[in-house]
Amino acid sequence: MKEKTDVLQGTLALMVLKTLDVLGSLHGYGIARRIEQISGNLLAVNQGTLYPVLLKLEQEGAIASEWGASENNRRARFYRLTREGRKQLRAETQDWEQTAAIIGRFFQAKAEDLS
Amino acid sequence: MNSLRRFFARLANLATRRGQDERLKEEIEGHIALQTEENLRAGLSPVEARRQAMLKFGGVEAMKQDYRAAHGLLFVENWVQDVRFAIRSLRRTPGLTAFVVITLALGIGMTSATFSMVDGLIFRPYPVPHPNGVVTLVSTTHDSSFDDFSYREYMDIRDKTKSYEGVIAYADMEAVGFSAEPAVMPRIKGGMMVTGNYFHVLGVEPRLGRGFREDEDQVPGRDAVVVLGPAFWRHEFASDPSVLGRRIRLNGTEFTVIGVAPDTFPGLLTFGHPDFYMPLAMARVFSTNLQKNFFEDRDDRELNVKARLKPGTTLQQAQDELAVLAKNFEDEYPKVNRSRGAAVYTQFETRTREDDNWKFGVIFVILALAVLLVACTNVAGLLLSRARARTREIAVRLALGAGRFRLIRLLLTESLILAALGGLAGIAIGYGVIEWFHSKESIVFTNELPASIPFHMDTRILLVSLALSLLSAILCGLAPTLQSTRVDLVNGLKSAEGDVPGRKRLWGRNVLVVAQVSTSLMLLTASFLMARGFQHSLLDGTGFAKDHLLMTSFDPRLIQYNTAQSQQFYKLLAERMRETPGIQSEALTQNIPLGPDGFDGVAFVPDGFQMAPDRENFNSTMDTVDEGYFVTMGIPILRGRGFLTSDTTDAPRVAVVNERFANHYWPTGDAVGKHIRLDSRAGTSVEIVGIAQTIKYQSTMEKPMDFLYMPLAQHPVARMYLMLRSSGDPLQLVQPVKDVVRSIDPNLPILQTRAYEDLYVNQAVKGPLIAIDLVGAMGGVGLLLAIAGLYGLVAYNVSRRTREIGIRMALGAASSDVLRLVMGKGIMLVGIGTVIGLAMGFALEQLMNSMLFNAGGVDILAYVVVVPSMFLVTMLAAYVPARRASKIAPTQALRYE
Repeated sequence: MKEKTDVLQGTLALMVLKTLDVLGSLHGYGIARRIEQISGNLLAVNQGTLYPVLLKLEQEGAIASEWGASENNRRARFYRLTREGRKQLRAETQDWEQTAAIIGRFFQAKAEDLS
Repeated sequence: MNSLRRFFARLANLATRRGQDERLKEEIEGHIALQTEENLRAGLSPVEARRQAMLKFGGVEAMKQDYRAAHGLLFVENWVQDVRFAIRSLRRTPGLTAFVVITLALGIGMTSATFSMVDGLIFRPYPVPHPNGVVTLVSTTHDSSFDDFSYREYMDIRDKTKSYEGVIAYADMEAVGFSAEPAVMPRIKGGMMVTGNYFHVLGVEPRLGRGFREDEDQVPGRDAVVVLGPAFWRHEFASDPSVLGRRIRLNGTEFTVIGVAPDTFPGLLTFGHPDFYMPLAMARVFSTNLQKNFFEDRDDRELNVKARLKPGTTLQQAQDELAVLAKNFEDEYPKVNRSRGAAVYTQFETRTREDDNWKFGVIFVILALAVLLVACTNVAGLLLSRARARTREIAVRLALGAGRFRLIRLLLTESLILAALGGLAGIAIGYGVIEWFHSKESIVFTNELPASIPFHMDTRILLVSLALSLLSAILCGLAPTLQSTRVDLVNGLKSAEGDVPGRKRLWGRNVLVVAQVSTSLMLLTASFLMARGFQHSLLDGTGFAKDHLLMTSFDPRLIQYNTAQSQQFYKLLAERMRETPGIQSEALTQNIPLGPDGFDGVAFVPDGFQMAPDRENFNSTMDTVDEGYFVTMGIPILRGRGFLTSDTTDAPRVAVVNERFANHYWPTGDAVGKHIRLDSRAGTSVEIVGIAQTIKYQSTMEKPMDFLYMPLAQHPVARMYLMLRSSGDPLQLVQPVKDVVRSIDPNLPILQTRAYEDLYVNQAVKGPLIAIDLVGAMGGVGLLLAIAGLYGLVAYNVSRRTREIGIRMALGAASSDVLRLVMGKGIMLVGIGTVIGLAMGFALEQLMNSMLFNAGGVDILAYVVVVPSMFLVTMLAAYVPARRASKIAPTQALRYE
């Protein structure tokens, strides 16, 4: 019953949204590859973890999916961003940047800055 | 919002899970295929390419779990699994399941039926909008905390109080002669006089036409308008909307129909439902006290007063205000308001003070809860032994890694399903019991006014039943569940009989049996006591002769006779009846003993009795009778004389009192020849000329009460009963009576003609039997459950100790030793249960005595009969399995399991 709401999953969802925003409609493997390319190790051994995230996003209405043909003419499920998802991406990007900035300032702060 | 959306998506997915699994499988395969191709392009061997792809994808099964968790609602799925499993395992033991369901159904059904009694009698809100604001105003005296107000008093209350949005008044529902057409002979219907603001203040919108206007209640006798009750409109006018404006005749006077009350408003009364409502200003047409002037006399107290509190006004403020007003009354009218107060009651206070019917309801709820408790303990016991039989199954589950919480949930689901089934069947039983009550309506309500038993299986009771089911599920499910999941794994896995009987465990079972034996003993004692008290009251007799009596009644006001005409009619009637063959004697009386209507009260001051200075007068019940009454009814005159034809209007006023009355006020001297003054010290003087034997007046179970008779000639009453003592079958007199009445006035309706004994049986025998049947049924059910429980316990013990018994017998124990071994425990439990049950039964007897019978003392016979028979029956329940144990062949027992 417990949901996985750790940072990894949260960031993963954001990555998926951004990927679909940049590249348009894409199947699961494509998304995994793309995230791998950019983030390096994050999905190195665990591409499978992507699918529950995709399902969650789809249930939330941020992405939609339909069957299509992949480059090697296999049947594959293609995901694309919905209007809702775009809105969510914008909001979350902003949140993320804000959070990152704040955390960044904390990490940069030295003892003398606080006195 | 997102999470809500997800929830529904997941809920929807529950149904389509298989399709979703397929989709995931396909996606995974596609994913791995794509990765494999990429690896191939990178130069790996086909086998290695696929292996690497799969490695990179990660654990498929773990991911699938995550996916499913995200996909559906895991807990709902689990729960559905639990339910399926529970149903399967319950179906494996159909006998036990059926027994448990029936047991719970009996308990829940009894309880919900009795709850509907208490709800109908006390708690159900008035059928008006915002019922909580409606309060009851009552006049209070030394003897009564629930007296009525007079018309003048009502006017003062209405005009001089500020706590209320409106103050209404209504007279008791009374018999009114109704005819739709002038030529038709009137029939008796129930009419209620109300104030002009009645519907308006209560917030009741008529479904048709309008309610009364305030000005329709201002000039006595001017506005002859009537509002019909919903049921009356349906039955009498076939729901005809054109009834508005129609003229109908009530007691011979023409009234115009102006409205029909809505179906939601059957009236404010608990039992009665008025057929129609008339404005109070028309009081002269209806039965008000002939001795007084309704509109003027401040002591003609015939009105019930209710009011709607202003929002923000507290009950206390209203009470204080009314208390001041009552004090003013007392100062202004010392003659009629001496030491008279007033009080404001909430609905609850009103219903619990008005009469004592609700006490029956409360007693029944207590008894029913006891049955439910027995049922629950019984079921808990059964589930406990079942849970023990499942020790190994549970142990295996725990060993395989099932969480304790999950197991508890599984087992609780089982008891929940049992309770749900029991609850459903219980609702059916409750419905049946309520219907049974309704089938007794003709016994309970013997007069002609419309009334019904206010017990219904409505939403409120359904909710109660539901709550009871849930409660019993927890009650009987939790203990066995917690215990069975606390299994010692090693022992549990080793053998099916894995439990080493610790003291604690058996203690629980023993308590169950003791509780059952004691509660059912208490119930049986109660029903036996009730039956005995009832039998006593019948054996005591009523004090008068009930056989060979024909009764019938007349109300000459129905055809607009005035007082003198009525008196003339009754005189003629008595004379002509006397000449009719087959009649030994005849009598006229305002009311009949043990009849459907209550007796009137009379206020008086006895001569030479030391009265407390703040006391205005005393009260007694009374009847108005003619000179033939005491002879016809067979009531002995102990001293002095009965009434004579010479006791006319012109002669000095006389009265006859009963023996208790005489001893009450003149304990030393002879009451004959003494005087009382009516109403107050300055009232009319009445001489007591005779003392009649005390009889049963209102109920066969009543305590002896003061009673006073007045002669009809000196105390005219419009509505009278004619009582005829016949030499043969009383019903043969029906036709002669009709002929005589026809010869006097062919238009006069003859009301309710029947043999008195028939009425008596209904009123005095069948009525109380309803209550006795009910308690007896509860006790019987309780005993049945206790027997089953005890049998189950001993049988279970025997089966658990089969091997031990075998060893004992192999070592030389005789079968009688075994019998003693197994029975010993049963005897002990029954013994303890009996002692506790005795104590509880004794306490209940005290309670019943104080609430109902006023018999006092302890009925030894009840215990002498109930206790040994209870003991015998329960011992039999223990004996049967014990006997079986003693017949065990040692060889077989040692091989067992």
